[in-house]
Amino acid sequence: MRAIEAARPHWPEGRRSCVALAFDLDGPTGGAMLDGSIWRNPSYFTLGAYGPWRALGRILDVLAEHSVPATFFIPAWVIENWPAQCRAIVEHGHEVAYHGYMHEAFWTLSPDEQRDVMARSMRLFDRHLGVRPVGFRTPSGDWSVETMRILPEFGVCYSSSMRGDDRPYLLDAASGLIEIPARWELDDYASLAYQRNPDFPAGLDRIASYETTLDNWCREFDGSHHDGLAMTTLFHPKVSGKPGRIALLEEFVGHMRAARGVWFAKCSEVASWWTASGQGTTT
Amino acid sequence: MNDERWPNNARSAVILTVDFSDDLGVRTQVPAIEGREKSLSVWRYGAKRGVDRLLDAFGEFDVPASWFVPGRVAETHRDSLRRIDAAGHEIGISGYRCEDFDALDLAAQKHAFDTGQAALVAATGRGAQGFRSFTGNWAPGFAPFLQERGIEWSSSWRGDDLPYFHHDAPLIELPLHYELEDEPYFAFNLAPPVPVGQSRIASYREVLANWKQDFDAFHRFGLCFVLRLHPEITGTAGRIGILRDLLAAMRERGDVWFATGAQVAQWWRSQRDANEPGHPVEIFERHRSALR
Repeated sequence: MRAIEAARPHWPEGRRSCVALAFDLDGPTGGAMLDGSIWRNPSYFTLGAYGPWRALGRILDVLAEHSVPATFFIPAWVIENWPAQCRAIVEHGHEVAYHGYMHEAFWTLSPDEQRDVMARSMRLFDRHLGVRPVGFRTPSGDWSVETMRILPEFGVCYSSSMRGDDRPYLLDAASGLIEIPARWELDDYASLAYQRNPDFPAGLDRIASYETTLDNWCREFDGSHHDGLAMTTLFHPKVSGKPGRIALLEEFVGHMRAARGVWFAKCSEVASWWTASGQGTTT
Repeated sequence: MNDERWPNNARSAVILTVDFSDDLGVRTQVPAIEGREKSLSVWRYGAKRGVDRLLDAFGEFDVPASWFVPGRVAETHRDSLRRIDAAGHEIGISGYRCEDFDALDLAAQKHAFDTGQAALVAATGRGAQGFRSFTGNWAPGFAPFLQERGIEWSSSWRGDDLPYFHHDAPLIELPLHYELEDEPYFAFNLAPPVPVGQSRIASYREVLANWKQDFDAFHRFGLCFVLRLHPEITGTAGRIGILRDLLAAMRERGDVWFATGAQVAQWWRSQRDANEPGHPVEIFERHRSALR
């Protein structure tokens, strides 16, 4: 048997593959909020605020229409400022999980600073949503060597931060922390995000074609489904929840819905399954 | 939501805006272009050819547009402005030289506005009701100043797909979306490089498809579609067809309200007097004012 086939994961009830749709509800948090420059940049603040303010509701509608669960990674600042919008996520039955307070770059923080961010976030999830999250996605993707040991102190059972696999894996044998890796190909920033001051993309490359973007996404799913893998997304409501892109999400979810044997799950369910099924023993 | 969001049971609103900045916009964005005649001529093409091509397309589909000029353009291209005015379009103001307001304090921003508005009045006999901050921002206190100067609406900020009120003045914002602008897709110059990463020019067919999909969604959800065009970008022989095809698709719907910014602002103000709670402008102001 070839190596890829031999290392094929197995999924509940003999399902072929797993899809854990995930959205990073960053709103206006990030570098410009951390350095304070956003308070002189209302154009940029409002660009980001569009996510929780307008895009989120439409995304929740699409997910409800197709009866698929999702995981929302939310900087706690967004919960603090749009609590009603974030409560709607929980009321729709989706998972909410950690994503920093203001989307801090964890790899630049000392262990104690990371603990402060986690503790503050934990209080805000509890106060506004009544939820104790078990998941974490590193803002900006990178963390420091200590992060993996800090997360379990706050009840975190899984991370979805890395890019180096297409299946979940065990991060830390001592704590049992599971990683559910994502891929840039399914990050809407890689194709659709655009902003000036601060510029993104850095060279102000063009916004991609919606049609070819959808085709890429569908091919990513087709491949993941073929090989029986776990696929998650790095979608941002302020990017792919814009009005014209809601149809992309609808078609993408519809495409996956039409396939047979897909396990649509929240990230916490994927992590639990990975451990309970005995697959979470290798890193 | 209001039962009658738009007049006459229209499902969505479309505001066609044009930034007619001649070479002033790019000189603000790319200072290194100063003195480079070939590169500047890329932008000057707008005044020479693009304005009339856009006017023809708007006329063909019988749609109004809201044009923004920096006051200096009203001085240098008075005839173009008269043709725009005579065609029944609205003319708004974007400072005197497309100033980057991020680099100016409040007093300098006010001065840029007043100088621009005076030039527009001198050219057309009327002041603007609409304002666009060329780079998108302004200092706290600028919105009440605009209100004092008779400005009814702005199209500078983002964060919504419906009109909204600024927090400190009954000034209506008609928010922008990068995906509804021609510049991110098509602006190009080899050196100095525009865009800075020398990106390929986007596919015309694919941009038209994106814009049609954007419009379909704004229409489906009953929103306010604010298109932002430039004469030197969309008013070319090769690209005017994108606009024509888009306008034809919009016209086919039958229940689209094509309006100027001033008309939409007036309508919005007649329908409501405040934003929904939690609006981005209020959250922004709450945090900004707490910093002092």
